[in-house]
Amino acid sequence: MSPSNCLVSAVRALRPNAAKSLNLQTSARRTASSSSTRQLITHQSALSATQRYACASQCWANGLGRQSRTFSNSTSRMKLKTVEQIKARNKGGPFNVTAALLFVATAGGLYAYFTYEKERVARKRIAEQTKGIGKPKVGGPFDLVDHNGNRFTNEDMAGKYALVYFGFSHCPDICPDELDKMALMYDKVVEKCGPVLLPIMITCDPARDSPAVLKEYLKEFHPEIIGLTGSYDAIKDTCKAYRVYFSTPPNVKEGQDYLVDHSIYFYLMDPEGDFVEAIGRNFTADQAAKVISDHIKDWEGPLKKKDRWA
Amino acid sequence: MGWLPFGSSDEGGVKKTAGGAFENPSRTNRAKCYEARDAFFECLDKNSILDSINSPKGREAAKKACGQEDVVFEKSCAHSWVEYFKKQRVVNYQKEQTIKRIEAQGGEIEAPQLPTRGS
Repeated sequence: MSPSNCLVSAVRALRPNAAKSLNLQTSARRTASSSSTRQLITHQSALSATQRYACASQCWANGLGRQSRTFSNSTSRMKLKTVEQIKARNKGGPFNVTAALLFVATAGGLYAYFTYEKERVARKRIAEQTKGIGKPKVGGPFDLVDHNGNRFTNEDMAGKYALVYFGFSHCPDICPDELDKMALMYDKVVEKCGPVLLPIMITCDPARDSPAVLKEYLKEFHPEIIGLTGSYDAIKDTCKAYRVYFSTPPNVKEGQDYLVDHSIYFYLMDPEGDFVEAIGRNFTADQAAKVISDHIKDWEGPLKKKDRWA
Repeated sequence: MGWLPFGSSDEGGVKKTAGGAFENPSRTNRAKCYEARDAFFECLDKNSILDSINSPKGREAAKKACGQEDVVFEKSCAHSWVEYFKKQRVVNYQKEQTIKRIEAQGGEIEAPQLPTRGS
């Protein structure tokens, strides 16, 4: 005896009237279910009617097909007479040259697109790492003198990308190599993106590197390179802002022979003066130019194409 | 550094300040200096001398075997550059040996670099 039956008999035993009403309810539910069965039957007949209609339209279509007019010019299956002909036509199954080419092209296209997007997002993340609050800050305000003796501040860098290098003219071997590389990088970037990059060399040796010395020194590398110098304290503050280590003796005598130890990175700064990426010695000129051009192409803000002296 | 006369009056060398620095470290002057350096180092290589600056023994050996090249080297370069290149020769050799040793042990060399991509 199932629990519900048990309940019914228990109710019956207690209140006969209540049991009667319960029976009534049950029979009503049965009627409802039988009517839904009838509905189902009606649906089935409607379905068979549809099938019949479908058949009729097919027959009509067949009738059309028998006429000489066809919708395509390619050999229809009906015209292939022998089994061999049909077999030859279907030899490759659904695979043929066109399908293979389409597949390869689609796969290649998707791969190229996703690779490009992945690189772009990675660059964006690097570029935006130093934007916002609480991020490490490289660069910032400075007030120096350029190789022509004009005042040059961080404001003069606004609107263009800047490639900042710290060095000194009495540098034995690394700085000249790096400045040669900078000239190559600059030319490659300008070729790709136009004149939107400022190549800047800030001296770590202000005692010896006067504007005139820098002008003479830098013109051998590239006429566009801007040399910046200033007082010892101004240079020290700039180096500090750029997190550059350098060790110039603060009090040097005239004509004294010494070397300056300093960090050797190129700092790429965006048109808003924010640090984008550091480029080390491990980069070749081509690799570095690509990194810079890619960042420039990602930039969505305004870019000044005109020179400030133009 | 008393054994070499410094000053802009040096004949056959580049113009230098009284302190021994280049007056003008131009591309031509740099090229001359590198040339003299390479000649001096070639001589050291021939005589199997590595260190020509750090130890008294090395200085003596270098002066004896390659004295002539050393004089040209000093004439063509700023004095600080000469010291720098001589020390760099030792450092470069040691670096090479360390890399060889690590590679012989099956290790891989990875130069410390700034994080650039995906790190």
